[in-house]
Amino acid sequence: MASQTKADILAQHETNAALKTPAPGQITRHAKDLGADGMLSPLDERIIAAASEALEAGQTHYVDVPGIAPLREAIAEYLNTSFSAPCQSSNIIVTAGLQESRFLTIQKIGETFDSIGIPDVVHPGVQKALGVRTRNVVSIAVDADRGYLPTLGAIADAVAGGCQLIYLESPSRLSGAAYTSDEVDAIGQLLGESGATVIWDQGLAPWVDGGCRSLASTEDAPAQVTTIGEAFPGMGLASWFIGYIAAPENQIPAMQSQKQIMAICTSTAAQYAALEASSLFPTAHPPRLARLRSAKSDATESAQELNLNVIAGDALNVIALRTSNDSAAKLRAAGFDCADGGDFGASEVIRLNINTTTADALQALR
Amino acid sequence: MSKKKAQGTNLLYQLIGEARNYDDVIIMGRGDPDFDTPAHIVAAAKNAMINHHADYSPPEGLLALREAIAERVKRVNNIDVDPATEVVVANGGQEALFLMVLAVLSPGDEMIVPEPNYNTYADSLAFAGGVKVEVQTYAENDFRADPADVAAAITDKSRALLLVSPNNPAASVISPPDMQAMLDIAISKDLMILADDIYDLFVYDDFEHVSPASLPGGKERALTLNALSKAYSMTGWRLGWIVGPADLMARVKELKAAISGGASIISQHAGIAALTGPQDAVEMMAEAYRRRRRLVLDALDAMGMKYGLPQGGQFVFADIGFTGMDSGEVAQRILTEQHVLAYPGSAFSKDRKDYLRMTFLQPEEQLIEGLERMKVAMRDMMAER
Ligand SMILES: Cc1ncc(COP(=O)(O)O)c(C=O)c1O
Repeated sequence: MASQTKADILAQHETNAALKTPAPGQITRHAKDLGADGMLSPLDERIIAAASEALEAGQTHYVDVPGIAPLREAIAEYLNTSFSAPCQSSNIIVTAGLQESRFLTIQKIGETFDSIGIPDVVHPGVQKALGVRTRNVVSIAVDADRGYLPTLGAIADAVAGGCQLIYLESPSRLSGAAYTSDEVDAIGQLLGESGATVIWDQGLAPWVDGGCRSLASTEDAPAQVTTIGEAFPGMGLASWFIGYIAAPENQIPAMQSQKQIMAICTSTAAQYAALEASSLFPTAHPPRLARLRSAKSDATESAQELNLNVIAGDALNVIALRTSNDSAAKLRAAGFDCADGGDFGASEVIRLNINTTTADALQALR
Repeated sequence: MSKKKAQGTNLLYQLIGEARNYDDVIIMGRGDPDFDTPAHIVAAAKNAMINHHADYSPPEGLLALREAIAERVKRVNNIDVDPATEVVVANGGQEALFLMVLAVLSPGDEMIVPEPNYNTYADSLAFAGGVKVEVQTYAENDFRADPADVAAAITDKSRALLLVSPNNPAASVISPPDMQAMLDIAISKDLMILADDIYDLFVYDDFEHVSPASLPGGKERALTLNALSKAYSMTGWRLGWIVGPADLMARVKELKAAISGGASIISQHAGIAALTGPQDAVEMMAEAYRRRRRLVLDALDAMGMKYGLPQGGQFVFADIGFTGMDSGEVAQRILTEQHVLAYPGSAFSKDRKDYLRMTFLQPEEQLIEGLERMKVAMRDMMAER
């Protein structure tokens, strides 16, 4: 006899569109996959040595829920130096990657607010996290001409309408466009005036030439801004899944307790690897950025020669294009994969990662 | 020094914090095996760092790992699953647990939970907005969950039945006839079953573990979790799984993608090595737990403590009611006076203030020393009365 209970569960599931939102792959699938969020990069031997030494020395047991102390310190130090974000290790929770950071912040900080403001164009992982347990969502209009970032006016309107928690990305996960320092100051000022809280995804910020201003560096941030991101991107840890949350101290206990409930802790191998990566990152990252800089400018140039509509973006690891409907199909026919802007809420956009094959992919769009 | 009276999990964290201050502390609380992960699994992880860190894994896990899991649940649990659609890899048994609860329970739905039980089920249920309906079990019956009590707890809001066997903290194993009776109830009342088999390799004496999903009519209504944490001493790797019918597993897979995405590729490769490589370390560890369990039971008998016979698992849940003291107070005094950490029953359930949970997860000499010290503390406490 078929189970009615199961049928009810499945029917409820069918109507949960948010949970079903399609999303780019987490990591690169094959050499011509330019659509993944996490790009694979070589893994430094010193990271392999550090992680395996830790495991060989018996670091194979449960560790503290918010992360091993030295890694929390290293992440706090990194956020202080790279983002001028005043924080200490007690503000840090190590996560099993960016989606866990999204989930914990959206659900647990979200729990303390009536609604959450979400940009109309945002990484689909946000919709997924919201789909797990429904929250009251206030939509925030974006400006297609500013790389699909929400306008300051739209953010202010949401806050004026009573929405006291806003989710923002800078750079945009779709276009790579980042708020300018002045815009960040203006958002910071709005927080100061309204008392609103922001979850700020700055995961693409390390890919911006010369750095990218974090909302956590503004005056009222320490009490009102939680930042999330991948830990030390570009160091070959994309498939290890390791991320962070940096939150005001009063928001840590609820998220830490939820992390205990859903994970107990983060894999020790990944944590010791990230710890080693933290010390290599300051010297390993700049040359990588330099290579991306020239690759992105080449890609942009060839796109313009091909009359493709390039969306201006600051992050050097991605290029977004405004295209016709069949672009993704054209790319696929040539063996390439791209991220589909439709998954983010902008169906006219595709996003390509920057690497040595990006130029060939652009040719396929001719 | 005056201490604010903490309760439940707060008390537990307070005790754990205090334990850190004692160099000679013996931890008989945490469910973390003392053995390190077997060397061949660590070697496989290192190999994965060199050769496989660029492997692509979908959110549900590497196919090779799902195949190894399917083979394992067939061999050990007699559950037939298709690795393509009926297995999802999770970040430990803990995430598997959270996913199972979310996949099945919505706000207002009731889940029947034999008590005492692993408290994360209550926490996950609270997150989902579900309601816990308790069915009590008692030391004098070796914490047997009586199917009749389960049947009596069913209402029109009941949606699921939780079966953790062997149980944490009660260490009871659901007997084959009871498991059949539980499944019959689930079928006749149309409930889903959440089965937690994480201690399935630790079953003592003549007790027998059976997975509800292995019984006729069980698989289509059961989600079954397991993990490498306890059996392979891999608690730090965060690798577990859920198996179940493809239709429900599709939902689990989407929840997994929404909560954390995929599991770390290194842990996944270590998991393949654990499941497909030599199993002698697992057997050696299981044998050690058998010996240690005997040691603990003998010591508890000498202290005059009552307990539910640990039929499986890695714990004993002992009744300290005869002291006339609350388990929080007893645990506190054992820790402060003798530097031995056992978990108070109140950390598992507000109704279990008369119990202490002790594990067999420390080397024998430490276990013997810890039990000796406990004896001294208990004697001192009783002498004051
Ligand atoms: C019954 C039970 N289920 C699940 C878990 C979670 O284990 P882990 O996440 O370490 O695999 C535990 C841990 O103690 C447990 O006792």
